[in-house]
Amino acid sequence: MKSAKKKAIVGKICVYIILILISLLMIIPFLWMLSASIKTDKEVFQIPFVWIPENPRWDNYIRIWTKMPFLKYIGNTALLTVVVTFLQLLTSSFAAYSFAKLEFKHKNALFLAYIATIAMPWQVYMVPQFIMMSNVFHLNGKLMAMVCLQAFSAFGVFMMRQFYMGIPDELCEAARIDGMSEYKIYTNIMLPLSKPALSTLTIFTFVATWNDYLGPLIYLTPNKSNWTIQLGIKNTFIGQYSSEYGLLMAASVVSLIPVLIVFLALQKYFVEGIANTGIKG
Amino acid sequence: MKKRFLSLMMACTMVVSLAACGGNSTTASTTAAPTTAAKATEAATTAANKDTQAAAEDITLKWAIWDQDTTPYWVALKDSYEATHDNVTIELVDLGSTDYMTVLATQLSGSTSAFDVVTVKDVPGYATLVQKNTIESLDEYIKKDNIDLSLYGGATDQITVNGSLYELPFRNDFWVLFYNKDLFDAKGLAYPTNDMTFAEYDALARQVASTDFGSQVYGAHYHTWRSAVQLFGVLDGKNNILSGNYDFFKPYYEMVLNQEADGICRKYTDLKTESLHYSAAFAGGDVAMMNMGSWYISTLISKLQSGEYAAADCGNWGMAKYPHAEGVEPGSTLGTITGIAITTGTQYKDAAWDFVSFVSGTEGAKVMAETGNFPAIMTDEAMEIISGLEGFPADEQSKEALKVSNLYLEVPYHESVSEVNSILDTYHAAIMSGEKTIDEGIAAMNEEIGKILK
Amino acid sequence: MSKAEGRKKMSKETRRTLVAYSFIAPNFIGFAVFTLIPVVFAFILAFTQWDGSNPIQWVGLGNFIKLFQDTFFLSALKNTIIYCIGTVPLTMIASLALAIVLNQKVRCRGLFRTISFFPYVASLVAVTAVWKMLFSKTGPVNAILYYVFHVPNNELPQWFVGGLVMVSYILFSVWKYMGYYMVIYLAGLQGISGEMYEAASLDGANTWQKFRSITWPQLRPTTFFVVVMLTINCFKVFDIATLLAGGDNNTLTPSSTVLVHYIYQQAFVNWEFGYSSAVAMVLFVLVLIVTIIQFRGEARFSNS
Repeated sequence: MKSAKKKAIVGKICVYIILILISLLMIIPFLWMLSASIKTDKEVFQIPFVWIPENPRWDNYIRIWTKMPFLKYIGNTALLTVVVTFLQLLTSSFAAYSFAKLEFKHKNALFLAYIATIAMPWQVYMVPQFIMMSNVFHLNGKLMAMVCLQAFSAFGVFMMRQFYMGIPDELCEAARIDGMSEYKIYTNIMLPLSKPALSTLTIFTFVATWNDYLGPLIYLTPNKSNWTIQLGIKNTFIGQYSSEYGLLMAASVVSLIPVLIVFLALQKYFVEGIANTGIKG
Repeated sequence: MKKRFLSLMMACTMVVSLAACGGNSTTASTTAAPTTAAKATEAATTAANKDTQAAAEDITLKWAIWDQDTTPYWVALKDSYEATHDNVTIELVDLGSTDYMTVLATQLSGSTSAFDVVTVKDVPGYATLVQKNTIESLDEYIKKDNIDLSLYGGATDQITVNGSLYELPFRNDFWVLFYNKDLFDAKGLAYPTNDMTFAEYDALARQVASTDFGSQVYGAHYHTWRSAVQLFGVLDGKNNILSGNYDFFKPYYEMVLNQEADGICRKYTDLKTESLHYSAAFAGGDVAMMNMGSWYISTLISKLQSGEYAAADCGNWGMAKYPHAEGVEPGSTLGTITGIAITTGTQYKDAAWDFVSFVSGTEGAKVMAETGNFPAIMTDEAMEIISGLEGFPADEQSKEALKVSNLYLEVPYHESVSEVNSILDTYHAAIMSGEKTIDEGIAAMNEEIGKILK
Repeated sequence: MSKAEGRKKMSKETRRTLVAYSFIAPNFIGFAVFTLIPVVFAFILAFTQWDGSNPIQWVGLGNFIKLFQDTFFLSALKNTIIYCIGTVPLTMIASLALAIVLNQKVRCRGLFRTISFFPYVASLVAVTAVWKMLFSKTGPVNAILYYVFHVPNNELPQWFVGGLVMVSYILFSVWKYMGYYMVIYLAGLQGISGEMYEAASLDGANTWQKFRSITWPQLRPTTFFVVVMLTINCFKVFDIATLLAGGDNNTLTPSSTVLVHYIYQQAFVNWEFGYSSAVAMVLFVLVLIVTIIQFRGEARFSNS
């Protein structure tokens, strides 16, 4: 008994050591960003590398607000991200329920169509898509273009479908026998059960939209008042013959804060799955 | 069933819109009459202007540019043009520098009237725009206004497409040899001169270098671009970058790789791994000579003035002409031109031409020089303005180094210039990183480019 | 009465389908208009020659014939496949292991979870710079090789050129995306009821047995998702290659190039959408094969 306990303690210590080592490896980029954000452009890539520069440039964090309309870009990005995330969660969990728990014609074919578009690199259909968006829908330069492109992604449907697959069919069957409509089953049973999946999708969609560069580059570049953070950062601090990596990193650190807040706030829902809601499969 | 019909409909609209757009640019270039589709979008974009401006002649020209905040000449050009042209407003549209040509070409694929005037960043980008029928031939305008193309020092010959010109250059950067005087003084060596052969240059780099640990000095520095190494070969005027045979690169690759092996210059692979920018490399104060474009002059001056670069490291710098091959007159160098063009979709062709001829002409040249940049028309006046800038090296030789006798573009126009350019880039990287030997790399260039030029 | 019942039954069948479609419609309409149509269009482009502006020219199988004589394409294809074979299993195992550990009652697990998500969200410039520092010639990895494994100085490896570049890509990718797939697995793990483990404990099952008989089978749908997404994302690798080996003009040599970089080159440097679509078709077929195999496996599992 005693040796078993000892074993458990040793095991635990090992787990912690491994976790700490992995965490160290994972946190370096963030520390690097912090360090670079108080340097001059020249110091950022200097060899040998120093973590804390001789003259820390704290004013980098002030200069980024005057070098570009940072607040405006944050506002644009926040608006875009919130709308996209909301639409994405709503429509894809809705569609995913159908794919996972209902029977209908052409189900597999439709689902494969979804996956097929994920497999196509965006670079291939970017230009046809752009021509369509600007000539048919006249959305060039508008934030709406980004909403249309990102809110209905196949990724969300695929992910939610997979999580719904993991929820036992018996739950739905029982509800159907009780006379519940499919819409009721979705709102009263599936949604509460899919908190972990929904928070995962929120995180992913939020990060993807917040950090997206290529989409805004193609659609929003000509309209400076609609620039997003990533576009603003890159276009302001990386020039043809000069760059300002110190300022770029300071701006990146600031723009990372909302992402981290969202992650920290949502990760606790990962533990509130079936096990904690009282309904057990 | 309904759904299928709907999606079919959508697919149709899409195909039609693409076809309309595809047809649009071709018809526009031949008859200059925009189709209804193009008209509709134009109407949408210009309606606002027309409503607010009562006078019919009031015109707004949309001009595609990059780096508006850090590059002073865009606004300077706009202001000086607007000062003499009351009815014209120039609207600057900043597309960023990193992906400028990609964004521009994509925008113009959507609608050739997205801009009235566009800046063309490089020759491959120029080729793309010409082939996509998105920019207008300037021949008639040039003839009508009697533009003297000889002022451009032969640059326009290298961008002529089947006898026609589609852009006019307004900025011209050429390569010179930057050097750090302190490092030569420390070794008691004479500075690089404006008349050096490659053998003399190589010997000098080896003399000034010091491989002692702790006080290392690099005799030379070659940035990772192919232009920094292989294009030494085209300066003799006998070899051509579009010839399909690249055996003439060999001596220059040998020179640079031998320097690398002996520790005379930094290794290409290290530069790539460390993401070392040429600017930081020279500013570090341990590089004696570096071949680089003339754009670096203003960077160096401004960063020294702001104190970001220590004067003790690189404050005492100078310039010399590029080294030359044996038996060739000095003064030949590489050039990069920036051009300006008119889109095929613009409804203000004549106004756009007037602006283009201003920017690329002598008046534009003066504005460029005043902001510290080299105009495509290099007048003595412009030269005086630049060499008179505060922070420009005071010695006569550095001033003399700005005089170019022959300018070879990094790539001249060819219909497959983009492919040729990327193959040369690819095998340059392969040779420099040691993945292929010099002979293998050159053989691969000959073969792959041979296939394209055939 | 019976007639009415029959009608009711008929309409019930139709109604079920209609209900199912009504769930899909909001997403599908947006998806079809903005994504599916352009993708279908790109498929057609593979048989044409088009630069995005001039009229489209039909070339039949011409692009595909050219493709298999294109040495650069073939090396891109080979590199991409090697990369996928290395990355998919490694990332899957690493992220699953991390998820299981961080699903236990570990102190500060919220913090640990957030940290392992960092490489995914941090600025790409920072992530690449750090990685290049770790693996630079005089960096810590080579220092370990030198001091611990006594690799002589002149034989220390160059991680970003030649033969080792694929190894760098794979390690970098595992490190960067481990946290991302861990999040998916974590969410999947919440779907497993605690009762199953309790029952297994009463039967005297050890940790490994519990994993084999409960965790792994219960995570089947999640694993399907992870593997498919991983495969697709691996085949679509682009950023990693240009950042680690591209330098400042995004040039990749035959030993470091990947399919999507080639697609990008063809599309946005040479403006040959037909040819770039043809390259994408090859990528697409590869992904489809892997997905269908997975899909079959999943169907068999849910039927049994």
